[in-house]
Amino acid sequence: MKNIKNTKMELSQETMNVGFIKKVEALSGSSVRRCFQCGKCSAGCPMRSFMDHPPNRIVRLIQLGQWERVLAGRSIWYCASCETCSTRCPNKVDLAAIMDALRKLSWDADGPSKESYVQLANKLFINNIKQYGRQYEMRLAAVFNVKSGQFLKDLMLGPKLISKGKLKMFHSKNKNLAEIEKIFSRIEEMRKNGDAP
Amino acid sequence: MSPTKNVLNYSYYPGCSLHASGKEYDESARALFKMLKIGLQEVPDWFCCGATPAHNVDELLSLALCAKNLELANAVEGDLAVACAACFSRLKTTQHKLGENEVKRRQVEQAIDGKVILEKPVKHLLEILARDFGLENLRGTVKKPLTGLKIATYYGCLLTRPPEVPQLDCVEAPTIMERVVETTGAESVPWSHRMECCGANFTLSRPGVVLKLTGDILASAKRAGADCLVVACPLCHGNLDIRQKEIEEVTGEEYRMPVFYITQLLALACGVSPGKLGFGSMIVNPVPLLKEKNLL
Repeated sequence: MKNIKNTKMELSQETMNVGFIKKVEALSGSSVRRCFQCGKCSAGCPMRSFMDHPPNRIVRLIQLGQWERVLAGRSIWYCASCETCSTRCPNKVDLAAIMDALRKLSWDADGPSKESYVQLANKLFINNIKQYGRQYEMRLAAVFNVKSGQFLKDLMLGPKLISKGKLKMFHSKNKNLAEIEKIFSRIEEMRKNGDAP
Repeated sequence: MSPTKNVLNYSYYPGCSLHASGKEYDESARALFKMLKIGLQEVPDWFCCGATPAHNVDELLSLALCAKNLELANAVEGDLAVACAACFSRLKTTQHKLGENEVKRRQVEQAIDGKVILEKPVKHLLEILARDFGLENLRGTVKKPLTGLKIATYYGCLLTRPPEVPQLDCVEAPTIMERVVETTGAESVPWSHRMECCGANFTLSRPGVVLKLTGDILASAKRAGADCLVVACPLCHGNLDIRQKEIEEVTGEEYRMPVFYITQLLALACGVSPGKLGFGSMIVNPVPLLKEKNLL
């Protein structure tokens, strides 16, 4: 993907991508266009300092058709879903839901964003549900370290947690596993038929 | 009305963390409820609610997982008691969203091949203790007041936000946790970071985020003169307790601040044997503090 971070922004009727705005609005159930840039979301955002674009700028970029910058950036993956923005928005823009929608769009396009660790963690988490029905933190952490190439991450924490009985070494399969598998396959089927986003 | 024989009965959704990293929350909740004669019956073979990762990238999956869990829970008598703030938020969000949005509800019903249960009340343990059981009754059951203990009550994000969903208390200035804690005779200190985000599940993918955000929370609690923190969410607990030593190493500050689940402190005050409250599973050892205050 070309470096679009420092390129000049050109605005015209053609570049304002209303189609994309409508897609985000349909997915999130929140208006994007109602935002008037008061900045209250960014003022309260605990993750602001980790983001390349603060939350209010994310909305502005989408309003202006610059969605590629948003999907290529780190911000959407650094949102913690703490809901502070949605709680405080004076225009009832549900920014936390918009972030979910943007992540889904980026995810479905196989993540053009460079933030790979958060996406990897999400993927492993969802795979765990599909495979076991529940989360097993030990497996989640171990597989994450292997797949992200950080073999030594939290090395000292593991044995300590095991000795405190906080990580289960063995686990049983959930009796409702077949039901869960069906949910996954039904959703896949619905998407294939265009019945669900 | 003083409860005699299981006046209150609930179906119980512990959530994944309570079977592993948050097991002392599960142990102490069960011990407390037993002492208070509140029935708790675990939903058989419940599964993961999807938590943040599912709704992060796949709303339909997240709603479907929660809807299926609600269906499982509906087979067990009583309102649904939820311990984890994240599970509580997801289950309630599902009811809220699907109650409002006909299109999404039909999609979810197709995905789970069943009806979405919108009527079953979903309640956080905190809400059950403060409202259903009642503060007066709680005060009445205290046998060993936690006098002299200064507590920083930590809400985190999902117990109160967004305002339409949990409806536990005021969204910007809640007091429910303070009111519950104060029934034990302990003192809750006023402090700045009780509703700031701890970094939650970034603990796996980007622990640096947690070190910063949770570090700020610990610093604020210390500035306010608290002896310990109290939480009602296993993720907040994991970050504040498990990551505390690392935060001390990074910042050079010394906290050694025990992080209790609210059920642990209430149970201790109600006279449950400390051996049943999982104090040994906590990373920051609470025993020295409790001994210093003559509470053990």
